[in-house]
Amino acid sequence: MSKTANPFEERITMAGVAEAAVVDRTTTLQTLLDTPAGRRMLTCIQCGTCAGTCPYGDYMEFSPRLVINMLRRGFIDEVIKSDSLLRCVACYACTAKCPRNIRLTDVLLPLVKEQVLMNNTQMPAEFQKSLENMHRYGNPMGESPRKRAAWTATAGVKVPLIAEVKCEVDVLWFVECYTSFYARGQENSRATAKLFAALGVDFAILGNDEKCAGECGQMTWESGLFESLAEYNMKLFGKYKFRRIVTGDAHAFNAFRFRYPMYGLTQPVEHTTQFFARHLEQLKPKLKKPLNLVVTYHDPCCLGRAVGAYEEPRALLQAIPGVKLVEMVHNRVNSVCCGGGGGGMWLDTYYKQKGMDRLSERRVKEAIAVGADVLAVACPYEVSRFEDALKVVPHDKPMVVRDVVELLAESIG
Amino acid sequence: METRKNEPVRIGFYVCHCGVNIAHMVDVEAVAKYVATLPNVVVSRNYKYMCSDPGQEMIQTDIREQRLNRVVVAACSPLLHEHTFRGATEAGGLNPFYFQMVNIREHDSWVHTDRLEATRKAMALARAAIQRVPHHKPLEVKKVPINPDVLIVGAGIAGIHAAITMANAGKKVCLVEKEPSIGGHMAMFDKTFPTLDCAMCVLSPKMATVGSHPNITLWTYSEVVKVDGYVGNFKVTVRRKPRYIIEDLCTGCQECVANCVYKEPKFPDAFNLGLGKRKPVYMPFAQAIPSIAIIDPEVCLNFKRGKNPDGSYTVSDKCKKLCVVACGDRKAIDFTQKAVDKEITVGTIIMATGFKTFDPHRTPYYGYGVYPNVYTALELERVINASGPTEGHLVMRNGKEPKRVAIVHCVGSRDENTNRWCSRVCCLYSLKLAHLILEHTDAEVYNFYIDMRTPGKSMEEFYNRVAEEGMHLVRGRVADVYPDPNDTASGRLIVQAEDTLTNRILKIPVDMVVLSVGLEPRPEAEDLRRLFNLSCSSEGWFLERHPKLAPVSTFTDGIFLAGCCQGPKDIPDSVAQAGAAAAEAFSLIDKGYVEQEPNTAFVLAEECSGCKSCIPLCPYTAISFNEETKKAVINEALCKGCGTCVAACPSGSIVQNLFEDQEIFSEIDGVLAPLPQ
Ligand code: SF4
Ligand code: SF4
Repeated sequence: MSKTANPFEERITMAGVAEAAVVDRTTTLQTLLDTPAGRRMLTCIQCGTCAGTCPYGDYMEFSPRLVINMLRRGFIDEVIKSDSLLRCVACYACTAKCPRNIRLTDVLLPLVKEQVLMNNTQMPAEFQKSLENMHRYGNPMGESPRKRAAWTATAGVKVPLIAEVKCEVDVLWFVECYTSFYARGQENSRATAKLFAALGVDFAILGNDEKCAGECGQMTWESGLFESLAEYNMKLFGKYKFRRIVTGDAHAFNAFRFRYPMYGLTQPVEHTTQFFARHLEQLKPKLKKPLNLVVTYHDPCCLGRAVGAYEEPRALLQAIPGVKLVEMVHNRVNSVCCGGGGGGMWLDTYYKQKGMDRLSERRVKEAIAVGADVLAVACPYEVSRFEDALKVVPHDKPMVVRDVVELLAESIG
Repeated sequence: METRKNEPVRIGFYVCHCGVNIAHMVDVEAVAKYVATLPNVVVSRNYKYMCSDPGQEMIQTDIREQRLNRVVVAACSPLLHEHTFRGATEAGGLNPFYFQMVNIREHDSWVHTDRLEATRKAMALARAAIQRVPHHKPLEVKKVPINPDVLIVGAGIAGIHAAITMANAGKKVCLVEKEPSIGGHMAMFDKTFPTLDCAMCVLSPKMATVGSHPNITLWTYSEVVKVDGYVGNFKVTVRRKPRYIIEDLCTGCQECVANCVYKEPKFPDAFNLGLGKRKPVYMPFAQAIPSIAIIDPEVCLNFKRGKNPDGSYTVSDKCKKLCVVACGDRKAIDFTQKAVDKEITVGTIIMATGFKTFDPHRTPYYGYGVYPNVYTALELERVINASGPTEGHLVMRNGKEPKRVAIVHCVGSRDENTNRWCSRVCCLYSLKLAHLILEHTDAEVYNFYIDMRTPGKSMEEFYNRVAEEGMHLVRGRVADVYPDPNDTASGRLIVQAEDTLTNRILKIPVDMVVLSVGLEPRPEAEDLRRLFNLSCSSEGWFLERHPKLAPVSTFTDGIFLAGCCQGPKDIPDSVAQAGAAAAEAFSLIDKGYVEQEPNTAFVLAEECSGCKSCIPLCPYTAISFNEETKKAVINEALCKGCGTCVAACPSGSIVQNLFEDQEIFSEIDGVLAPLPQ
């Protein structure tokens, strides 16, 4: 297939390439303003777009805009004393719309959050627990690492372990935690395995050796935790030969794209939707079974706004016979976060205590309003969050939450 | 005094401090001392401002007293002062081409941070010139007569003003406009800031003058397709697109429009930005100049649907042609009209091709094109205008008058994701629109701005005045526009922004959103740039020769800029610039001739093998082939001294004045030779 024939080729390879270093792994709040990313912060025009677009902007004592100016004026200590920044769900909304291209979501705010957490004696319990689990078991739910690859027994196709494959593989599939341990997550994994097999992809997984990529540690800049997970996984990667990493977890994708290159990762990284969109021409003839569904697609923050992969998942959905794709009011760059990023996954109780509404509920209301049968997603966090939200938000017509790969696998039959 | 052959070379060298511009980074004394040691150098001096009168006199005195026959000045860019120092050299009694300039400011002190290295670089550059200049030959500047006619491209307010200025002074002007009528964007505006006078009231008399001026040939619905030649003598081909109405026969009575088989206007009307409708035969707008109808072959029933590959349309003869009947004896309608190319010769050209407004589809979160009640500012101008689609009633697409309106500043401007520049006019036109909305309705008006920018005469006073009228001025850039979830039926929108001065997130329900879109280069600017051999800034605006001192000149002699094609500006500035461009064109025309840099190339006939490889390479088609002698010949008048043929000639038989091999090789030797430690 020629390059021009495939609109997704170029972007994917670009997204997979480590971006020019805007900060490095040792950057702290004190040294930030001397880095390339920090110098961009000196250009902030205090327009407030970041605060205005932030889904939790209403609840922040220190909006992203204010954080920048407090940092520039030397008043950042006041920001750190407040827990305002724990409300950031790392959704990239501010970053995507900032007219000065300031790296708020993945550079400034995590550095501040790290300080907030260090200063905050009462870390929300649920959150504390998952970080501990990640540290101890390599997954936030505290499951036994020895059961990580157990799902492969139900995959229906062979899922090779990289340790057993003696030669180089094309795709190292990084499965990640939710998709290994949770029942609904495993459906995603089975679908991915089936699609890989159908396309004849040369792939393998790390199996029980894999540990959480640590993205939530990253988004909160829990440096110690993230460092240990990243160093562990990097060491593991070093043992094997593979040409690219593919993952269905948008958060792991984000960590591999932005932070892991600081630890030496050089292989390109793709999200499963990017990978399958790139192979759409081979996939299309296999999508035989019509699904006859009205589908709306929720852009995961780490895939949409973070790298601009808005069209790949949509192209996949539209390739499925019988799927009618409809758009919610907020879509693409304007998508509303499910509320799970930046540690939000484990802060629901805390947010509730603070009187904050749940973003997942805000989001499913939009999906209900467009009359969708299916709320399609491309990130494993979203499945449980939206399913929970659907339990409390009234709706007449039934609605299910499905990952894009699950719909593809179903159409393959 | 001219140097004679075999007379020893005596060079005077001068290094300029340029205040501190050069001296802070280059040790000018060290440079002068070093150059003094080089062969043929008789005097070597440093001086604070070489371009000042005393600086120039120093050169002249030295020429006389030290019997100098070569001069080298190390200072700023030759673009700025080569002319000055050639003048000084000539005033001292030498041929001006015995002078050589070294750029140690733009190429050195301004771009380096290590003083020692910068100083060494200055020495190397100076030595290159010192080694080159002995090979210089006396050359003569050629004078070529200038054609007094002028071409003006674009007939918005800038082009119109330039055309009238030149025509009033007796120059013949050819004014070419792409659209069927002149007037440009200004004709679409309702009122203008800060005086609030009606745009059309001040513009239409000028349009009428253009239409009737004996010295102006007005070609509307026409485009420049080819430009050859050079300053004083441009050959320009203009394509006159068919309007299917014979201009000389049309009286502008519009009987054809009234009698068209379409009883009602049905097609989007471009002048009203699609907010109104027109018929296949139409008058662009009431005050259009020329007042001549036009037929749109895309929708007229007498044409087959769709363009032919060559861009023309085929007559189908399927229509009853009631327009032709109505036109009667005037016989102005001609369905067989074809595009015609006209060639004209002019001496100077003024580019006034204007701008386009930012397309807000590129900021999708403002909902333009998704929610019908989101308008661009230009659309609002049409809605408010008495001659617009709603006859000046401020009603939305649903026919209702808005009760609350949000005006969003900076749409597409000041943004790394879209256009980085401030478009300069949006704050002011937003304030004007807020004022007009308050004048037309009882609506609450919210202006969301980042910084209120109101520079210019009477502008801050205007801001002060309209602010008192009671609009809400909110300091915060709008982050999101979406339908009110609590009221989906009415089309009401929520405008969300941080009020940065109260640290609060506002979610204001409004009926209408107006996007104050910025100004950007026209999409065809790149084609025009190539056609006219201009330069563009990285944003795509035509580049002026110098941002401060030659703001309407271009790098192509004889071509000048007016209005927004050079960058965003308001009407007064566009008019002022148009006047300046006209004055620059005059100063060329009235001089009667242009001087040509003698850096032209010539063929050494005895060495030319007649291989013709140079002929297609010349971008100025200056080379021809003499069939009798079988040698290439360069027309000196056409040669611009680009050097392409010189480098390409396989037998090395083309020589370029000022860039002879010996000169260049010596220069390279000079720059590469080791410096003293
Ligand atoms: S959006 Fe960007 S420029 Fe505007 S206030 Fe926020 S960080 Fe500053
Ligand atoms: S990343 Fe999202 S949640 Fe965090 S501050 Fe930015 S907009 Fe708000």
